[in-house]
Amino acid sequence: MPERTDKSNNQKDAESNVQGFQEKLGPFVVAAETTRMAMVFTDAREAGNPIIFANDSFLSLTGYAREEVLGQPFNFMMAHAADAIALAQIETEFEGSSKVASEIRYRRKNGSAFWSALFVSPVRDENGHIVQYFASLVDLTTHKEEETQARRLIDELNHRVKNTLSTVQSIVRQALRFYTDPKDIRDAIESRLLALSRSHDLLARENWKSASLRDVIDDALEPFNVTDGRARRVVIKGEDIRLSPQTALALGIGFNELATNAVKYGAFSNEAGSVLVEWKTVSSPEKSRLRLHWQEKNGPPVLRPSRKGFGSRMIEQGLARELEGSVDIDYRSKGVVCTIIIPMPQSDFNE
Amino acid sequence: MNKSLSGYRILVVEDEMMNLAMLEDILVDAGCQSVAVAATIDQAMALIDGRVFDAAMLDIKLKGKNSYAVADALAARGVPFVFATGNSVRDIGERYENRPVLRKPFKAERLVEALTALLPRR
Repeated sequence: MPERTDKSNNQKDAESNVQGFQEKLGPFVVAAETTRMAMVFTDAREAGNPIIFANDSFLSLTGYAREEVLGQPFNFMMAHAADAIALAQIETEFEGSSKVASEIRYRRKNGSAFWSALFVSPVRDENGHIVQYFASLVDLTTHKEEETQARRLIDELNHRVKNTLSTVQSIVRQALRFYTDPKDIRDAIESRLLALSRSHDLLARENWKSASLRDVIDDALEPFNVTDGRARRVVIKGEDIRLSPQTALALGIGFNELATNAVKYGAFSNEAGSVLVEWKTVSSPEKSRLRLHWQEKNGPPVLRPSRKGFGSRMIEQGLARELEGSVDIDYRSKGVVCTIIIPMPQSDFNE
Repeated sequence: MNKSLSGYRILVVEDEMMNLAMLEDILVDAGCQSVAVAATIDQAMALIDGRVFDAAMLDIKLKGKNSYAVADALAARGVPFVFATGNSVRDIGERYENRPVLRKPFKAERLVEALTALLPRR
């Protein structure tokens, strides 16, 4: 808090001048006093531009009483008194050479800081000499918060785009690694890009905050035309829960791989097969886990694949690592059973 | 592909399973003796505590959190590492400013070169 100084005679004169034009210019002064824009007048003839008038908005913005402000040099509220850049900006405002309003960080009486746009206009006497300055401050706190938020979102988006490009790179490399026939390579790349894209759609619908497990499964199975038109081929059972974006993306990839496999060799490769997707939470005193089952039946007899493909690698290794759980694919002759056990998705989504 | 990492034990910490699989392939192809992978801070810490690594690649963000704890654990054991990040601007704390950074996506060769540069000349 600034020290109260004994007012110089000049300060007293200046304040009484203000009193004088308050009487002469009645409505204008009332406007200055009551506008929601914070305003002060300073004495241009004194060093440091001491404040000779402050309106109510200025006092409520800064938290000072009028008597604490009058007579203080204009810069008394600066957050960093020695901030050379801000001081130069303020000086530019006073010289009238600033093209745009300067943004200055100020400090309220209670110590809290705020950003403010500063506009300064000179007040001249009959001879054209500057006698006072008229300074108005616009609180930019909300604007700055919005700016920070926008910046954060852009950074986040950029991060996501780069990670997605890296994922695409990985899909291409693995497709080339696992397949030799150009058609197989193309199918492997396309189906995974589309799965990735559907997961993004799902998350975008909910602003990338979370996604429901049921929606993740529905979306993963949708391109295989087994969710609506052939509803009886898929039975989904379980109390819906919310998943983090990352868990949703990982499970989306997982279910897409299981469905792809079922279309090629399993329950979706004939007319009679069906899949049961079921989950429940398993709680012990230490932790809760989510146990998901994918169970195929009535498909053609299952043969254990001679070598692991792209899909089973993603499911068995990838899912288990990324979700810190265990994933097991059992190639039973009556139908593939995949069991995924992961820590219960964090409760911020499920409380 | 050159086998410049042949005989080395490398740790890869990356939270996205599709990327992890690719990185593992790249390193195995480059001749690594072993490639350990971790997708979370806990997994990485457990691996660092239990095993010896010659070098590591560490994603700066794991599930939205900074992976500095892992960086510090590697540094404490004298394991050299390269950061990987999806950000295009510098987003690494000052105390790591001398560590190399790979910006995603990157070519396989760049990862191998970055790790090779961290290892003692043979």
